[in-house]
Amino acid sequence: MAQGFSHIRFLFQHALRVELRKKHGIAGLLVFAVASVYTCYQVTGTHAEQESWNALAWVVLLFSAFNAVSKPWDDDRPEIKSFLLHAVSPNHWLIARIAFYVVLLGVVSTVTYAAFLLFLGMDHFTGWTAVHYYLGIVMTSTALATLLAMIQALSTRAGGGFSLTAVLGLPLIIPVILVSTSYGSDLMRGIAFGDTAHHLLFLATLSAGFTALGYILFPYLWRE
Amino acid sequence: MIQGSWKIGGIALLAYVVWTTFTVPLGPGLLELRDRNEAASTDGITKRIETYELIGLGTHWGAGTEDLRVFIRKGQNLAQLPVIDVIDDTHAHIALLLPDTLPSRSWDVLANHPVDGTLFLQNGLFTDAYIIEPTAGLEPPVFDEHAPNLPHHFPFQPRIFETIRNLMLHVPMWFTMFLLMGIGFVASIRQLGQKEASNTVFDQRAEASVQVGMAFGVLGLLTGSLWARYTWGAWWVDDPQLNGALVTVLVYAGYLILRASVEDQRLRARLSAVYNLFAFIILMILLMVLPRFTESLHPGKGGNPGFNSYDLDSSLRAVFYPAVLGWMLLGTWMYRIRLQATQLNQKLQRLNQR
Repeated sequence: MAQGFSHIRFLFQHALRVELRKKHGIAGLLVFAVASVYTCYQVTGTHAEQESWNALAWVVLLFSAFNAVSKPWDDDRPEIKSFLLHAVSPNHWLIARIAFYVVLLGVVSTVTYAAFLLFLGMDHFTGWTAVHYYLGIVMTSTALATLLAMIQALSTRAGGGFSLTAVLGLPLIIPVILVSTSYGSDLMRGIAFGDTAHHLLFLATLSAGFTALGYILFPYLWRE
Repeated sequence: MIQGSWKIGGIALLAYVVWTTFTVPLGPGLLELRDRNEAASTDGITKRIETYELIGLGTHWGAGTEDLRVFIRKGQNLAQLPVIDVIDDTHAHIALLLPDTLPSRSWDVLANHPVDGTLFLQNGLFTDAYIIEPTAGLEPPVFDEHAPNLPHHFPFQPRIFETIRNLMLHVPMWFTMFLLMGIGFVASIRQLGQKEASNTVFDQRAEASVQVGMAFGVLGLLTGSLWARYTWGAWWVDDPQLNGALVTVLVYAGYLILRASVEDQRLRARLSAVYNLFAFIILMILLMVLPRFTESLHPGKGGNPGFNSYDLDSSLRAVFYPAVLGWMLLGTWMYRIRLQATQLNQKLQRLNQR
């Protein structure tokens, strides 16, 4: 058990190191996100309508998340990859990968949200609503990370690359999007946090479910 | 027991279903109580006479014009409205002859006739220009109610009317798709549990069931869309149930795309089995779980997709249950043919390679 945790920690740090080693990696993602927000700002100005604000925020978040996750899986040298294949349990590898994606998407979505608040203004938020909205964004990016980690592995094994990830992933994440957009519009319409918090619970359930499903199924993808 | 008698049974059931679906008539109902805008006052002080036109659908007022009785009702209060004349089977002129003081503004309209029985139109009349006194009572009319005397018919539902027949063509599509995707789900689990990786028997089963299930899913979307055009006025509306159905079909389209993009047979069997498990669980979430959390326009929905809320009466059930069974048998048959075709194709390829 303790060994498992140390494996997961090592793999997580390894994924992080590989990501940070590439100079264009995370910077490219953030530039993509901020440029998208800026484009929205050019169209709507600082006083976007409630619905547009909500729709644009989720769309930019979704595409940034896809962009972050859909990069090909070849960030390891082949010899390291084949070493990992024999030395590490596939489940540990998946958990580390999910944790890494949760952190990566967390960073990307936080920056996206901050850019949204900066450019498109926070007219629609009163008091703690902005924080509640942020909670929804974090939960959504967690759910996306758990599902897309698996789908991305699948499409890499199938040799399909980015387009296959999109084709397989986009329909599968619709439940997540349905829940999180209705959570966002509830908050913006002034519905109390307590009355719409069940959406967050549902997102957490989805994340747990996707992780469990991935945990069971990932070994079948892993073996050659 | 003849071999394959279940196929004959399925075809017989479907023949019965299609025949009854399109030949059983729709029961009568009330459409509207329309103000004719010809208000004529007889004495101008105590009584007002306004004439209204009562419009029915599939009613038989022409047979026994004297026997049509029209009432309005609110709670315990019941008042009879005199029938001026019956124009034809579905149109009659009614006089609104009421006291000045009424207990309510909005009324349900009822019509009783020896053939149709009692028909009901909720909130069919709105009486303005009366003094409203909630405690005012109306003198109950004395009459004997006629029981309906109709042939076997489908129930009249407001706004749905004749499109109720779609129940036999639309709903079984989704039930059959559930069955086929369930077969695919089980096949995918067994494929992953395979000891020998080269054995792709279960993968073929999963593929065949998803292919046939997709056909039923697309038919379900088409029949639903056609129905929505007549009932809601649009081919597609933004509704959780509809979006869930569309996304489900897209998810399974992804399954077929995934299969097409992998060359190696063993790898394809494994990857598509993994994806199929995801797909089935998403199907469950989208069509079983999410509709319970959200409001939906879809019949039988509204927070609780229970079976009773389909408002099935015995005449519908007598066709609906055979329809579900018949379409499921047909789907199973199609699945087996598809599976045999795939297997034969593979055998042929192996022979060609030699």
